[in-house]
Amino acid sequence: MTRMAAVPAKWLVLIANILIPIAILAFSLGFFPYKPLIPGLAAFAEPHNAPPKVFDKVIFMVVDALRSDFVYSNNSGFLYTQSLIRSGAAVPFTAYAGSPTVTMPRLKAMTTGSVPSFLDVILNVAESDTSSTLAYQDTWLAQLRAKGEQLIMYGDDTWLKLFPGMFSRAEGTTSFFVSDFTEVDTNVTRHIPGELIQDDWSAFIMHYLGLDHIGHKAGPQSSYMIPKQHEMDSIVTQVYGAMEREPHLESTLFILCGDHGMNDAGNHGGSSAGETSPALLFISPKFEAIKADRESPVDVINELKYYRVVDQTDIAPTLAGLLGLPIPLNSLGVFIPEFLDMWHLGSQRIQLLLENSKQLLRTLKEAYPAYSFEQDSVPAKCCPNTQDNLEKAQCAWTQAQELLRQRESTGERDIQAEIEQALLLFLEVSQKVMSSSASNYDLRYLSLGICVTSVAILFALPATYKALLRYQHPGLFLMASILSYGAMMFASSYVEEEQQFWYWIFTGWTFYLHVRSSRFRRSPPATGGEKALPSSTYVLTILGAAMLAVSHRVLRRWNQTGQKFAAEPDIARSYFPSHQGILWTLVVLSYADIHLHLVDNFSSFPISQLACLIVTITAFTFKLVFAASESPELISESPVRHVAIMLNGIPLVLYARLAMSGIVILLLLSALFTKAKGKSSMKRVSPSTVAHESLALFLMTQSRVTNVPIFLILRLQLRALASMDLTSVEIAVTSLFMQYTTFFAFGGSNAISSIDLSNAYNGIGNYNVILVGILTYVGNWAGPIWWVSATKLLRSRLPRGEAQTHISLLTFFVASTVLSVMAACTILRTHLFIWTVFSPKYLYTVSWAIIHHFAANLLREVDLLLP
Amino acid sequence: MASLTPTPSSPAKPTKPKPSHPPVSVLPSQFARVYALAHPALLLSLVAYRFNSVVNDPVAELLGDIPFLVGLQVVFVMGCLPPAGATTSEQKDAASSGTESSKKVPGPRRRGHPGKGTSGSGFSTGLVLVAWKLMPALLSLTLTILLATPILSLLLVLFGAPLTTHHALTFLCGAHMALLSVFPLIYVHGVDGAVWREIWGAARPVDGLWGGSLGTALGAWFGAVPVPLDWDRPWQAYPITILTGAYIGYCVGMLGGRVNGVFGKRIEFAPSQEEQGARVDVKVD
Repeated sequence: MTRMAAVPAKWLVLIANILIPIAILAFSLGFFPYKPLIPGLAAFAEPHNAPPKVFDKVIFMVVDALRSDFVYSNNSGFLYTQSLIRSGAAVPFTAYAGSPTVTMPRLKAMTTGSVPSFLDVILNVAESDTSSTLAYQDTWLAQLRAKGEQLIMYGDDTWLKLFPGMFSRAEGTTSFFVSDFTEVDTNVTRHIPGELIQDDWSAFIMHYLGLDHIGHKAGPQSSYMIPKQHEMDSIVTQVYGAMEREPHLESTLFILCGDHGMNDAGNHGGSSAGETSPALLFISPKFEAIKADRESPVDVINELKYYRVVDQTDIAPTLAGLLGLPIPLNSLGVFIPEFLDMWHLGSQRIQLLLENSKQLLRTLKEAYPAYSFEQDSVPAKCCPNTQDNLEKAQCAWTQAQELLRQRESTGERDIQAEIEQALLLFLEVSQKVMSSSASNYDLRYLSLGICVTSVAILFALPATYKALLRYQHPGLFLMASILSYGAMMFASSYVEEEQQFWYWIFTGWTFYLHVRSSRFRRSPPATGGEKALPSSTYVLTILGAAMLAVSHRVLRRWNQTGQKFAAEPDIARSYFPSHQGILWTLVVLSYADIHLHLVDNFSSFPISQLACLIVTITAFTFKLVFAASESPELISESPVRHVAIMLNGIPLVLYARLAMSGIVILLLLSALFTKAKGKSSMKRVSPSTVAHESLALFLMTQSRVTNVPIFLILRLQLRALASMDLTSVEIAVTSLFMQYTTFFAFGGSNAISSIDLSNAYNGIGNYNVILVGILTYVGNWAGPIWWVSATKLLRSRLPRGEAQTHISLLTFFVASTVLSVMAACTILRTHLFIWTVFSPKYLYTVSWAIIHHFAANLLREVDLLLP
Repeated sequence: MASLTPTPSSPAKPTKPKPSHPPVSVLPSQFARVYALAHPALLLSLVAYRFNSVVNDPVAELLGDIPFLVGLQVVFVMGCLPPAGATTSEQKDAASSGTESSKKVPGPRRRGHPGKGTSGSGFSTGLVLVAWKLMPALLSLTLTILLATPILSLLLVLFGAPLTTHHALTFLCGAHMALLSVFPLIYVHGVDGAVWREIWGAARPVDGLWGGSLGTALGAWFGAVPVPLDWDRPWQAYPITILTGAYIGYCVGMLGGRVNGVFGKRIEFAPSQEEQGARVDVKVD
């Protein structure tokens, strides 16, 4: 009878699992709208009237993650650049870089002048994607190219992906070997002397990555930072020297800028002051003519707002103006008024601003078709202190039109300054309007996604309800957690600090397990057995919950994550670098532990025992060599460095492939021997345990070396849980909590910047988006994947019907989290943090639901889903 | 604790499945009834009154508050609760005679007491009563400081308190929580192993005492909720919200535990026997 009732519920769960990805797809379509861009290239409305160009050539030097204080403050290495600021040859700014502060969207902002959409973040990770190309968009590069000029590029290959076929000479460097501080930069620098002599190019782009790598690896206070700044400064010296010396560089504009900054941990992607404040300098001897006394260096400023703050999108129209090009069509930038003085004729200056205004007005009209900017429709009673920016823009435009007409009719020259003021005001206000205007979400798709998710929840409900009715207390606990988790998704700080929720709820769950097992323990003596339990199991049962609590406490300190407490000392980043002996002892122990378990559950043939040993040792030495090359600060004082030096010759790619194929061979061997020997084997041969241990070995290969010892702790927790004899609902709840807790304990968070790519290229020679994607997922979700596999072991003693409740509960949980995040993103779509906090959270939820829930949780249980 | 366990348990072996101690109610005297209600109000007003100074200088203020807390709690336990010895002897009588143990608790002790002391005026009886109760109060206070405080501090760390910093604060927080929750328990139950095993397993029948202790723990747990918020208020610092939560939880728990429908009930966390049965059934199925 129970089976009869179970079948429809099970099918409903299956349908719910099919509905979840559909809902996500629908919601994403509405949430990440495709922004239509105006195609084609801009052209001057009146070419004969266009203001003359000031420069013929441009040298565009991007230093990745060049935060403003790295150049301007008094502990900077840019000494020569600072002398240029003092002489007036360099005009310094802080260029506000909007979120997302990652390279590709920032390059788009600098070249097109438009504000990139959030989709670009995803495309930035999937770098090989060519749909993000700017080949058909209007940029100052395209404008130069259209004039038949030559462009050259050396540095970050993102440029080559953004502008395929744009450059006549180019060499790209990939930014993925983050521990490389010097090679990426010398690959750029070695081209400079030759190219400075050539006179065939009119745009020379350099993109240095070393400084960003130092930030990612060691943070802005690292000892590598100042020498790197000196190196970058010497390149400024070299280029500026050539500009003064070479006659063909006489009329060249040199721009030095960062694409984004970095936070105090050296990461970027978010919207903190450090991340959004890169430096921007326009350098040319011609600027010395504009009298402006600037001090340099200046004291450290807290908010990093050195000199005047401009928007990063302003680079495009300013560059276009100075090079005599039309402003790119989709630009939201404003010509930087400091450079108006490069033109002496008032009419030219006005013409320049007018071109900029008309272009911005076009985009404004496109975004707000309801508003009319025709002068006669606006009454003259413009209120200057109106709060509505759109009205302000309308007002400023009318005023400027008024003044322009006045000048035309009367020929007055003295209102020149007034007109400039009015136009600049209009530009400034409309830029503000355009960049703050939320992208137009498609509410129909948003609500469709929410509805489908709700249906999925309803479908998962009957099976869940049945399970919860049977086990009320853990069921109540799960429901309370789901509800509070859902409520939490609406508070930005709880989204940022999600790990605190899981750590907190897990302590409560530990208490529940403690109480439950302490009662359970008392019952056997009461029913007659006089302390007949085996002593070791008995001790484990008593101490099980305590062990869980202690190990959990250690785990939560392993990697500090989130925003608020991210910089506080932890085990992985503060303790291990100074206690390398302990780190490597623990790492060796972890591998030894895996090896012992492998041998224990493998057939006793000497050859298979040897295979276990070889594979474990290969995996361990790979980790060692990898650490020696990628994070030498973790190995430099440890005795194992000698082994690492010994093995130095083997290429890492080959090594990783060896380790991974070894793991696969182990799995095959174990399956083979079980089949061959069957049940007659005298030793306990357990292929499922071997599979789990091999998976653990693979996960260790894909984890940072400082996280490897966590697997020891996880094993301890698994043993404690196994001794508690949990029911199916309790196992499901424990598994869920453990998956989320370990995700954060391994250093994960809800910020894009915390995605760990350090192990995503193990064993991969050429970039392959699918393989890299899989390895990235495994590297970041190592803890959750381990628990999925461990749960299967925990549940092995339960009957099949009970195990099915596991899937229903997981499905119910996933659908509820997806629903709450979707609801939060919809309701808070105009929130200030929508792009920095809630959208990344949505992306993470999608990964949890699609990749983790389907690839790990469901695939592992696929035998249960099928009838 | 372990050495004491066999003595009471060996004679009481046949009755072991029965609760070792019935829930404890407040003494029936006029003072006890009034003060048992006034006590939580006094504690909460202490929290409200000193809250700002705790935010300003938590270590000094939490240390300075301990004498007040001790004073209030000592008055509470001596005025409103039966001390350990009385209950246990009473308990055995009650267990052998059978019923209405909790109501009887104060009665025989009062009767017995004047026989023990010299017969005199009401005032001197009161004095002797106080002196007679002061001893267990002082003893339990010592145990609270020496044993319960370190254990609670350890538990605080396990539940997420900082391990490498804030030692003084963790210890003080543990001391406050121990004085709130453990001190009355020791005063009433002494070191009876059976009771403490029940407490450790959260299996005590609910009364004002156990309700207060459970409330302290739950309140402290919920008190951690506002810490990660980005409001940047000084009171979000560890352990202010946690301790405030503990105080509120204690007061709610000790009042709630005495409510009629709740009093005497046990928290049935996991009906493990039934679950076992259910699982066997499924296996058969």
